[in-house]
Amino acid sequence: MKCWNCEKDTQGRPFCPDCGKIAARPPGASHFDVFGLPRTYDVDVAALERQYRELSLKLHPDRFAQADARERRLSLEQTTALNEASKTLKDPTKRAFYLLKLHGVDLEREDAGAQKDMPLEFLEEVMELREALDEAMEAKDVERARKMATDVETRRKAALQEAVDTLRTLEKGPPVESSVKKASHALGRVRYFTRFLEQVETFEEEMLS
Amino acid sequence: MSKNGYLQIHDPLKPKGYAVGIDLGTTNSLVASVIQGKPRCLAADEGESNLLPSVVHYGKDGGVVVGARAKTLAAEHPTDTIVSVKRFMGRSPEDAETRKLGAYKFASGGKVVRFEVSGGQPVTPIEVSGEILRALKRRAESHFSGRVEQAVITVPAYFDDAQRQATKDAGRLAGLEVLRLLNEPTAAALAYGLDKGSQGTYAVYDLGGGTFDVSILKLVDGIFEVKSTGGDSALGGDDFDRAIAQRVLEAMGQSSPTPSLVAEVLAASRKAKEALTDAPEVELTVGSHRQALKRSDFEEWIRPFVQKTGVVCRRALKDAGVTASELDGVILVGGATRVPAVRRFVAEQFGREPLSDIDPDQVVALGAAVQADLLTNVDRQDEVLLLDVIPLSLGLETMGGLVEKLIQRNSTIPTAAAQIFTTFKDGQTGLDVHVLQGERELVEDCRSLARFTLSGIPPMPAGMARVEVRFQVDADGILAVTAKEQSTGTTQSITVKPSHGLTDEEIETMLLDSIDHAEDDVQVRQLREQRVEAERVLTEASRQLGEHGELLAEGERAPIEAAMAKVREVAQGNDHHALKEAIHALDEQCKPFVERVMNQALTKVVAGHSVEEF
Ligand SMILES: Nc1ncnc2c1ncn2[C@@H]1O[C@H](COP(=O)(O)OP(=O)(O)O)[C@@H](O)[C@H]1O
Ligand SMILES: [Mg+2]
Ligand SMILES: [Zn+2]
Repeated sequence: MKCWNCEKDTQGRPFCPDCGKIAARPPGASHFDVFGLPRTYDVDVAALERQYRELSLKLHPDRFAQADARERRLSLEQTTALNEASKTLKDPTKRAFYLLKLHGVDLEREDAGAQKDMPLEFLEEVMELREALDEAMEAKDVERARKMATDVETRRKAALQEAVDTLRTLEKGPPVESSVKKASHALGRVRYFTRFLEQVETFEEEMLS
Repeated sequence: MSKNGYLQIHDPLKPKGYAVGIDLGTTNSLVASVIQGKPRCLAADEGESNLLPSVVHYGKDGGVVVGARAKTLAAEHPTDTIVSVKRFMGRSPEDAETRKLGAYKFASGGKVVRFEVSGGQPVTPIEVSGEILRALKRRAESHFSGRVEQAVITVPAYFDDAQRQATKDAGRLAGLEVLRLLNEPTAAALAYGLDKGSQGTYAVYDLGGGTFDVSILKLVDGIFEVKSTGGDSALGGDDFDRAIAQRVLEAMGQSSPTPSLVAEVLAASRKAKEALTDAPEVELTVGSHRQALKRSDFEEWIRPFVQKTGVVCRRALKDAGVTASELDGVILVGGATRVPAVRRFVAEQFGREPLSDIDPDQVVALGAAVQADLLTNVDRQDEVLLLDVIPLSLGLETMGGLVEKLIQRNSTIPTAAAQIFTTFKDGQTGLDVHVLQGERELVEDCRSLARFTLSGIPPMPAGMARVEVRFQVDADGILAVTAKEQSTGTTQSITVKPSHGLTDEEIETMLLDSIDHAEDDVQVRQLREQRVEAERVLTEASRQLGEHGELLAEGERAPIEAAMAKVREVAQGNDHHALKEAIHALDEQCKPFVERVMNQALTKVVAGHSVEEF
């Protein structure tokens, strides 16, 4: 990236190393790049939070309240990216989904092909859980729903662990199609379980109010 | 026309004058500024209150009066005197909040709430708020004897996009550059934090006249990070007043009261409510109606409102991922937290006694002044930083009237999100986009922010065109939307103006109108104020003469009537000094008579008491 002010290379840094002006965000920079971290699952969250605070102090729009329009825009763009990166990398689940996305599978997208590509056993598991929850909800049985939630939470954790283990093996060598698929299936389950848990929560709140 | 003409040429080297912090409240507003390193609220005059009642009166001659003086006119001119205007900011005429008990006359039609007032066109809540801001700006300018052009204005944390946009527009209308919209609980924490240099996790519980907010904040190394926020932008002390007023109207047997009576009963109810803070039982009087009110009954009536705040607090704690016992303190803000039942409830909810060492009336304005100073004063740039969140999720309408959330509530701002849309018919060239804000799943349960059609998509087979819609929320919590057709790269930028807001052109017209009316002309303003005062004094004098004519001494009536005629005559002219003198003369002339009237009233009260007591 060329600095808009002095035309020197910004080296992908938030501020131009030469003239010190706030720089434009390099196109295609990842959340890891924002913090200068390698693309690995294991992140030191405490260190990340410290770094987030340091960068915020320098980049936030409040620091550019009296600056010109260009610098204000760059500050907005960089802080937006910083917030997004921090939110994603701090959270173990979001971080796993993000790494999978860097491997080419975006499970957040509604129309994603990967959604339809889940194994048969999973579909059976979904049907079973769905029916059981519907029954509990119809019977207004909060206790039963809560028990199911505990069980699903265990399954969610196991699926996430499986995904993380697979993602870690992917870090070591060249991309392996079958491993990406394995991680994708595991996270597909995580995604479903998370929604299931949200539904139970909504149901509980409704019953309580 | 103003002295400078309509247009001012922008000169980047021109100093921007002083920066202030403004608490634009439902009930009271304040302006504060950092002076010699310390935030201070500014009063209109030495020794006077620094609270400016958020009341705006529109006179028959087109004059506008703001503050305490306007408040005294509310009972007599209920629909020309707008109180609690903040409740209507960014709201539509159909909103439930608009329909609550109150003495307002709404203009019909249109997407925006408008009040019918005498002396001109109906006014919008943005214009009314603009008048309050202008009065505060003037107050600060006379304090500094210099220009004030930049301000941080506070908003309830739970304000949605439309309400924020409306507040910003009001600032613009008042000739202020809005440096930042700051959430009220965050401002309060800032005022506390700087005084104490504290670290830790705090809850701020802010119950004002019309809004309720709770925020959970974490303070680490000079950064105030809002972890979560929750609230209700239609809940506050006003609801307590209405709870009393409804019982009073019932007891009076009034099923369809006039606006005048409603205004009177509401005012009496508020007074009674505030008195119940210090006394277990009070008497409320409206005209000849007297009613005893017990604190225990009052607490029963407001219980549903107080409990509603509890639900919000629990959710905020959960969203922040902390439990009540992990908090380092709870800060109370807002006049309605003086109600003992509210204090007890907060202490119970959070399991500790709340802090209220800084005057809850001033704390928000003081925090806003600190933020204004941080934003404009280069020397303070490294001290503190606020990281705030968006209070309500943002989403788009999808198939079947459902909302898909793109940005979750409590995301740190600024933040952004994008969504790809695709065409579903061959050759389709337009796409409808409906932007919503709220937590519920159905479109009809969320606030509609904007609806627009993306046009000019090149005709292609169904599913081929890909349009990316991007939401960007800035540090004020205000949304901008852009769209880009990806296969051709055509970008369409759309400024999203909330469905219930005003267009930029409308704001522009109002801005020109207000410059045209040259409200800043001190002469004109003082004349208007004196005319209002004249009207008040004349009404009062006629009333006393009518009701207590028997107390007039021999030959006293004629000079009083002459003095009244003089006031009327001078009020027609343009000399505010002369008018002030005429009013003073009338006052003097009436003095002995009015004293007699007062004495008689007092004797009656004392007599009344002695009858009851013996
Ligand atoms: N002593 C008191 N006891 C009970 N309520 C009070 C007292 N003083 C003020 N209030 C109430 O507080 C509310 C105003 O609070 P304030 O924080 O000024 O509101 P806002 O920020 O909405 O302008 C009003 O409903 C008012 O009646
Ligand atoms: Mg307030
Ligand atoms: Zn440079």
